[in-house]
Amino acid sequence: MTAIPQPGAGEPRRPNISSASIQLPAVTTYEQVDNEIIDTLKPTKKWFMALLLAITCLAIGAGSWTYQIHEGLGVAGYNPPVMWGVYIITFVFWVGIGHAGTLISAILYLFRAGFRTTIYRAAEAMTVFAVMTAGLFPIIHIGRPWKFFWLLPYPNWRLLWPQFKSPLVWDVFAILTYLTISTTFLFIGLIPDIAVLRDREKNPTKKAILSALSFGWRNSEAEWRHFVRAYLFLAAFSTPLVLSVHSVVSFDFAMALTPGWHTTIFPPYFVAGAIFSGFAMVWTIIIPIRKWWKLEHYVTLNHLDATAKMVLFTSLVVGLAYMIEFFIAWYGGVEAEQAYFWNRVFGQWWWAAWIMLTCNMILPLSLFSQKLRRNPSWLWILSIFINIGMWFERFVIVVPSLSHEFEPWQWSGYMPTWVDYGILLGSFGWFFMWFLLFIRQLPVFALSEIKEIVPPRMKHGHSHTGGH
Amino acid sequence: MSQDVTDTTPTEGVKRREFLKVLGATSAAATVVGCSSDKVEKLIPYVVSPDNTVPGVSTYYATTCRECAAGCGLLVETRDGRAIKAEGNPEHPVNHGALCARGQAALQGLYNPDRFRSPMVRQGDKLVATTWDKAIQTLQAKLGEAKSKGTAKEAVFINQHEQGSFPSFLDSWLAGYGMPGAISYDAEAPLGAIAANKAAYSTSWPKLDFQAAKLVVSFGADFLDGWGMGVTTQVDFSEARAKLEGGPRAIYVGARRSLTGLNSDSWIPARPGASAIVAQALLAAVGGKGGASLKQAADAAGVSVASLESLANELKSLKPSLIIAGGNAENDTETALAVAELNKALGNVGITIKPAEGYNTYEGTASHASVREAASRMADGKVAIAFVRGANPAHTLQGAVKFADAFKKVGFKVSFSSYPDETTSLCDLVLPDHHALESWGDAETVKGTLSLQQPTMDPVFDTRQTADVLIAVAKGDPTMASKMPADYRTVIAARLGGNAGLTAALPTGMGKGSALPHPAAKTVSAVTGGGLAKSKGEYFLHVYQSPVLGDGRGANKPWLQELPDPVNKIAWQTVIELHPETATKLNIEEGDHATVTTSTGLVTAPVYLYIGLRPDTVAIQAGRGHNAYGRYADGCGVNPMSLLPVAEDGKSGATLLAGTKAGVTKATGASRLVTTEGSGRQHGRGIARALTVADLMAGKINPEKEEFVGQAKVGFLPGLRSPVANDAQGELGDPKSKDKGQYDPNHWSGVAKRRWAMTIDLARCTGCSACVTACYSENNIPTVGATHQGAQVMPDRTGFGANITRSREMAWIRLERYFEIDREPKDVEWNPDFETRVVPMMCQHCGNAPCEPVCPVYATYHSPDGLNVQVYNRCVGTRYCSNNCPYKVRYFNWFGYGEPNRTQYAFPEPLHWQLNPDVTVRGKGVMEKCSFCVQRIKEAENRASLEKREMQPDEFTTACAQACPSRAIIFGDAADDRWTVAKMVKDERAYHVFEELNTYTAVVYLQKVTHPSASAPAKA
Repeated sequence: MTAIPQPGAGEPRRPNISSASIQLPAVTTYEQVDNEIIDTLKPTKKWFMALLLAITCLAIGAGSWTYQIHEGLGVAGYNPPVMWGVYIITFVFWVGIGHAGTLISAILYLFRAGFRTTIYRAAEAMTVFAVMTAGLFPIIHIGRPWKFFWLLPYPNWRLLWPQFKSPLVWDVFAILTYLTISTTFLFIGLIPDIAVLRDREKNPTKKAILSALSFGWRNSEAEWRHFVRAYLFLAAFSTPLVLSVHSVVSFDFAMALTPGWHTTIFPPYFVAGAIFSGFAMVWTIIIPIRKWWKLEHYVTLNHLDATAKMVLFTSLVVGLAYMIEFFIAWYGGVEAEQAYFWNRVFGQWWWAAWIMLTCNMILPLSLFSQKLRRNPSWLWILSIFINIGMWFERFVIVVPSLSHEFEPWQWSGYMPTWVDYGILLGSFGWFFMWFLLFIRQLPVFALSEIKEIVPPRMKHGHSHTGGH
Repeated sequence: MSQDVTDTTPTEGVKRREFLKVLGATSAAATVVGCSSDKVEKLIPYVVSPDNTVPGVSTYYATTCRECAAGCGLLVETRDGRAIKAEGNPEHPVNHGALCARGQAALQGLYNPDRFRSPMVRQGDKLVATTWDKAIQTLQAKLGEAKSKGTAKEAVFINQHEQGSFPSFLDSWLAGYGMPGAISYDAEAPLGAIAANKAAYSTSWPKLDFQAAKLVVSFGADFLDGWGMGVTTQVDFSEARAKLEGGPRAIYVGARRSLTGLNSDSWIPARPGASAIVAQALLAAVGGKGGASLKQAADAAGVSVASLESLANELKSLKPSLIIAGGNAENDTETALAVAELNKALGNVGITIKPAEGYNTYEGTASHASVREAASRMADGKVAIAFVRGANPAHTLQGAVKFADAFKKVGFKVSFSSYPDETTSLCDLVLPDHHALESWGDAETVKGTLSLQQPTMDPVFDTRQTADVLIAVAKGDPTMASKMPADYRTVIAARLGGNAGLTAALPTGMGKGSALPHPAAKTVSAVTGGGLAKSKGEYFLHVYQSPVLGDGRGANKPWLQELPDPVNKIAWQTVIELHPETATKLNIEEGDHATVTTSTGLVTAPVYLYIGLRPDTVAIQAGRGHNAYGRYADGCGVNPMSLLPVAEDGKSGATLLAGTKAGVTKATGASRLVTTEGSGRQHGRGIARALTVADLMAGKINPEKEEFVGQAKVGFLPGLRSPVANDAQGELGDPKSKDKGQYDPNHWSGVAKRRWAMTIDLARCTGCSACVTACYSENNIPTVGATHQGAQVMPDRTGFGANITRSREMAWIRLERYFEIDREPKDVEWNPDFETRVVPMMCQHCGNAPCEPVCPVYATYHSPDGLNVQVYNRCVGTRYCSNNCPYKVRYFNWFGYGEPNRTQYAFPEPLHWQLNPDVTVRGKGVMEKCSFCVQRIKEAENRASLEKREMQPDEFTTACAQACPSRAIIFGDAADDRWTVAKMVKDERAYHVFEELNTYTAVVYLQKVTHPSASAPAKA
């Protein structure tokens, strides 16, 4: 039974979210879409190797964490007054990664930016897994992780509530909200695609599961109408979250007195940085996928070119934010602030600051060249640099600020230990494990939306799309 | 302990009563404090409760401190039979209620986990436990043998120097066996000063009256580093400086700026050994007899002529003055004699130096030469039997004496030490003494006042007081048995006029007793010149004794090991101090290893750059470098005594610690310094502020103060502002309720009317750090070790180690020592004219605390009486509070420092007996900080409430304020004008640290007042 959705004669065309310039000339039929994309679900040796690697990394992280819980946080590299370290840095890093997904699927959807179509599923899955990863870090980071639920406002007879003035409590809400919405958004978008898988599935157990997950999707017009409305609604709902989550994360710093943190520029700066790093991570993931599964004709160079422009733009925003930070530190005239920024760039932490500036400000300038924007290998290499640079951006925000505060007697250094590195590695293992499992089970490219770009096969075999 | 408790649990199901019992037992085990000094085994309530013991209520015993020779009065707090805190006895004439870090750490000597549990006897190369009966029999046999063979007259008894009845009792016991008198050895004794005092004032130690002086000049006499009378001197000096306008100007002459030097207004960096010629030249300059010219003296001392001329002028103009001298450096007796002449010439004797009111502290102190002489007799194989008690000459004598080798040649060696140490580990028989806090004794520091030493608790281990052991041994000798008292307590009672006198003296710890004869020390000719003259090298070696570890006897106490040195801020480590210029010349950076070589040995250690040291001098602190002094001392630091040749002061027989020539070379490797110092200068942050006395008098108190845009308009004292009221959770947080509970100023408890506050007078504070140890003791603060608990090293893979090397010390109060210099110390050129400011920093209990709103779980909040409270049980350890604290006074439990059976456990049995049962032992993963001793506040409130009265002004104080020998800390209710603190916060010198952050701190600092030379231009 073939289940290729086709518009009926005389029906209005479904709204096509792609712009005219983002077409897939090498994709001609719905069957091709189904076959080529569902091909990614077949297990391959490489996939198993990758999963094994991810699980190994995860095991190292889990082992390190177990050791840390048993011994105490002292096994990590904290060096008071640097009371926050790799875990908070990595938390912010993953939350940032988690931004691009919703930006691509929601904001770009609302703006009808067609280049999102082929990459949004991967980006959205990345978002969910990145937020899942990020969510672990506050727990890893705290001194008594078995009490983490005290940060939640659960009812209890002693009427003990969290401190709603604390940005950390805002964080809990922001992250949980974002995780809920992005998961829902991912799942809603998957429904028609799961229906495709269901229809192709032979194994009765799997078929039953897929049936349940697709909510009995029958591809009817009414269903599509509701689906599109729901999708639009969720996109509108998620859009402010994209801005709010990282703004709230930035409040963790901006609300504090600490020199280097106490600044109003943080919310926009963090959001831009998050989008920047999120797009980089999308490249890190999507470029190998399109190459290994030979899907270059889906994620075309046009699409990559468009994302590269986004990256270039956000890089310029982030770079401007860096410059403004320095300017305000100088212009503000607060001595502790000035001393801190000097120490950040030319003092104790020059190496971290220059890794950040090079990776985030200087290297992305290469994207002014169209040739490089359309060179997937360069984009992939650049994405790694940006990921490193954005990790170091958070390092530069967290560590140098804390190490060089008001009280000179308490200035210090910081050096992570193998436990920090183990857990950092484990977070990548955790993230890629979920992602690898995802691409093995569900289509990593949105079948239904890609089909919207492909010229539909007319009822009577007309191959052109003109209609009547 | 919990094991024993579970043994009592019935196996056939748990009934309610048993459950409650176990619950109680588990809580008792959890707080690690039981009900008696015996190990807790069964939970049985007292049928007949012992007298004076109410569970949960402290009993105080007045006794005498024996940690150094001074003999301060103690009040030892005991709870349920265990001593938990040592405090100064406010009535005592020696220390007036103050107590130094060493005195407070007596408790860790009492509960030292390495103490001998029982007598020990040598079997092969090991000491094994034995019984007292057997041990005493062995000693009786050996003594009988010595007596019969006639070797007794060559016996050696090295006893720690102490005052009171014991030395004469011991000598009479020794005489009974035909043995010569004991050598009353004190490696810390400033023998040069003692010899000069005897010659000039006919007393071993006159009273020094700093308060009467206008000028204090010290020639290497480190009176704030433990020299002489320790706490007595410090109390007096601080009182003198607190007079501000009338306070004395202080000048320090010496090669290294010690804590005394840093507290002085000027430093004349005379090279080691040259103080004498300077003193003599000054004597000539003020009209005394003889001596070189100032020019010659300046050349010899390597200082500017102008500085000496200015000093001479000041001596002439600022009268009366107090000039003191006599450390243990080359020519120090000469210096002290010249200084005595100088004092006489300037008419200071009787005014600032009062020989008539002298102290007995150093009566009968033997010279260091006499121990060395005994060692040479041992080396010659002439000594058949030797005793050592409380002294550790194998560690404290110069390496060149080779005491250990000599000691090994003694036929039979007996130690009365309570701890294993380098000397005791060589002995054949160990008869462990009681700790001073378990013993009877007496001291007569102030003539006419007998300071009683009484047991404060049952013995921790199977030890016996040496005097009683001597009595028991003598009972086996028919000629002596009849002469012996029943026990040593009766000897003490007899001194106080019988049991009635003793009973009368017990509550105050003081009584009137008959004057004691002080056995005179045998004089031995000193080895002079020899070693020192022959020593070669480009640098002078300046070895000095640690202000906190003394001659090394403090090294087995983790509180003292962990206490950063007041000057170089190094803990758990020995460093080689070099001036930055010297280091640059030698291509050495801070932390690099260097080797110091003398004719007798070499020592390799990391380098610390110290700007308060002559560039031609290398300084090393003595006190560490033990190899058999227990888990906290061994393998930690190096012992610079191994560098010293056999050289003694000709007049006093003192070991010459400074003056040897040495070579310094860069060695391979580098270490992280175990330091609590971040940046040693203020970077203009205005944390420690000072003004000159001239500015103070002119009313130019706070010229730097400026108004900030946006600064809240409140009165200077923020204490009365109550920003906390809005946090009130009246009627269980009902938003409509107007009930603010205890936060309402009209609440019946009146608690919101209080505002606990503290003032710290920087004019008084010397940086001695006694408050730090007081805080450790009161608040169960764990010591964490350098890289790991104790001296043991467990570096992580980054080579940082895990604890102090990663700034993880837990000290709730710390002493920040800032040099007023404009660049990092490593770039500083030689300039002796720099100012040092010390500021104690602890939780400031901000009225508008940045830590409070950021805690997601309300683990830190503001109490109605103005305390910033930390709820350990609620803390989940996000550490956000610490990030947001501008003062950085919050400390995190990185490991389970308070959890038994962990390698990081800070209180191994029986150290945990000391823990204050009123204060939680914090678990891992929670934040902690200064609580303003909230347990003391509550205790005082409860006491007042039980007695149905108002709390009296100044009724109690915090542990740090209680201990402070400078009386710099005042605590109390700033909202009640009757309290001293309420007056102090209105002082014109008062300021808040980081006032511009609008934190409204409850800790108010009073600016330091400096006394620059009248001729020198006042510094900005």
